[in-house]
Amino acid sequence: MSISVIVPTLLRPLTNGEKRVSTHGNSVAEAIDNLERQFPGIKARLVNAEQVHRFVNIYVNEDDIRFADGLNTPIKAGDSLTVLPAVAGG
Amino acid sequence: MPTLLNEFSLLHSNTASLPKWNALQLCLMEQARLLGIQQLSISPPVDMGSTAFVLQHPAISPIQGHYASPAGWLPNRHLSELLLQAGSGLMSVHGRASGNAQPLGVDYLSALTAAMTLHGTLAAAVGQLRGGVFHQVRISPLGCGLLSIGQYLAGATAPEDREEFQPGCSDPQLRPPFRSSDGITFELETLDSSPWRNFWTSVGIASELAGTAWKGFLLRYARAISPLPAACPMALARLRYAKIQQLAAQAGVAVVPVRSIAQRHEDMDYQQTLGAPWQFELSPTPSRKHRDIAAPPHLPLQGLRVIESCRRIQGPLAGHLLALLGAEVIRLEPPGGDPLRAMPPCAAGCSVRFDALNHLKSILEVDIKSTQGRQLVYELAREADVFLHNWAPGKAQEMQLNAEHLRRVQPHLVYAYAGGWGEAPVNAPGTDFTVQAWSGVADATATKCSTRGGSLFTVLDVLGGAVAALGVTAALLNRAVTGIGAHVESSLLGAADLLMQGSGKTSRGVLSGVYPTQSGLIAIDCQHPDQLQSLAMLLDIPPDVDTCQEPLAEHLRTRPALEWETMLNEHGIGACVVIEDLKQLATDTRIAECLGHKAYSSVNAPWSFL
Repeated sequence: MSISVIVPTLLRPLTNGEKRVSTHGNSVAEAIDNLERQFPGIKARLVNAEQVHRFVNIYVNEDDIRFADGLNTPIKAGDSLTVLPAVAGG
Repeated sequence: MPTLLNEFSLLHSNTASLPKWNALQLCLMEQARLLGIQQLSISPPVDMGSTAFVLQHPAISPIQGHYASPAGWLPNRHLSELLLQAGSGLMSVHGRASGNAQPLGVDYLSALTAAMTLHGTLAAAVGQLRGGVFHQVRISPLGCGLLSIGQYLAGATAPEDREEFQPGCSDPQLRPPFRSSDGITFELETLDSSPWRNFWTSVGIASELAGTAWKGFLLRYARAISPLPAACPMALARLRYAKIQQLAAQAGVAVVPVRSIAQRHEDMDYQQTLGAPWQFELSPTPSRKHRDIAAPPHLPLQGLRVIESCRRIQGPLAGHLLALLGAEVIRLEPPGGDPLRAMPPCAAGCSVRFDALNHLKSILEVDIKSTQGRQLVYELAREADVFLHNWAPGKAQEMQLNAEHLRRVQPHLVYAYAGGWGEAPVNAPGTDFTVQAWSGVADATATKCSTRGGSLFTVLDVLGGAVAALGVTAALLNRAVTGIGAHVESSLLGAADLLMQGSGKTSRGVLSGVYPTQSGLIAIDCQHPDQLQSLAMLLDIPPDVDTCQEPLAEHLRTRPALEWETMLNEHGIGACVVIEDLKQLATDTRIAECLGHKAYSSVNAPWSFL
């Protein structure tokens, strides 16, 4: 089984319009590297200098990776990776 | 503070065109007074027909103001704060995190509609002085209410990832604010996840749980909910406030107590401003005074150029209102664009929430912190009429883009700052929720709604945006008359003060409430004893506010809300279906004129001009 990735609207031009794509890897960083091979350009929209962009949130299943091990957060087959662009404030 | 428009006068009709909505009239008079406008009432009384007021000045033809509701919707004479909150969807948004669809408990749409009314009227005067024909302004109170929830409506009607949050969808106990073991209620605020994580770890909450809380907290201004794991408020309920403050300071999280309005009134900055939400500073008289020369405009602010450098809601909404009045708004965004553009739900490659506030603007990406970027801002300001920003305190000076810097390149500029805290010495991000807490708005709402804190609807961002935009147009009008530019500052806190000044000054109706029916909720507002009498006769119930409640509730359960709305209004009793699902607004043909339908439902300008 692979990792399913929920792609936000604004990144879908990079995934040929697909909302849900599959990838693999043992960590979020590996999954993103593999995504980059499938969909060139997507990594730069998610991370910069090995850090997740400030206004991008990545969840493994329901858990925000910033509250786990960041890009080193382990993942396994069957997990779902959700990318949610969001700005705090109000 | 200079009284800006003291040669203008507002003549009020003696025959109130919205007789059930005294709070609106009071707010209008108060806001006009704060702008220096003289108030006149006609003596002896003259029936001005449907004209609610007239703006006068020796240099303009009188401008008549009218309130206008969509035909087939509620009659104007029944409009009131309660019914507008019900019919605009505001109760629905507020209800998401407060248990059920219910009123905010403050005269919010009175303050907002008054600001929008004055804004349209002053804009009409600017338009006249620029060669246009604007003798009459018509304001839709419903349109004002809809604008207040425009971003939520966009989210609820997006083509995909649509937000489906109904009243009561989030536990009203498991949301901010928090309460300490010694009984202090307070808000936490941070715009980054690291301080949040560090704080919760320091109070014994596992990182994973803190992450769950962050997801809701991060999106609370967008969704009007902020679900928290029960362990979070429980952990803080075991600690004293002083300890929480200490841990929060160590982690970099701000703590703001929920204070009463009485506490707010004791603040030095409150006493200094005397409740005025605007601070105007007129520019020195330039060697050459500004003269408006333009082709006659179709919209009052057409031909005027606004440069906007604002993030999030308050500032962009102010720019949006100026754009709705015809101004050309050029929005400065950082290289790569505003990150809010990507926030779902999206349509046509842009966040609908963002689009709702920015679709009328042209966008220029510029790094305003760079020397090159600053030079570009100077060049833009040279050809501009208004510069509007909401940068953090001190940033304008740091970037050499304060009022004085820009006045050097454009002496007639209206330089506007829509900030958070004004002059208040509060060391916290000035966001809607911290300012609601500090100002007394949260406490007033909590008391009325029996919740712990204020609303998660962005009460102050919206009112603050309307207040900021009104300040800009007041300064433009002053410039059109005197030829002199100005620096105008407003803030979320100033908007909160204005809201609280206008709230609760008028007596509540004899019977005023939200009731379940066979299908949906109905808001009923009997402002006068004769309306209660009519209701009692119609339903054969006692004409007494206490003893009628039980049989009234029983009767109301026998028909759907929409039937009651029609029947009660026909009998002279103010009643309005409570919009619970915002999507209802988009399909209600009676109010179609208020909304535009692109990929999502957007809110049209609430003004029209003749």
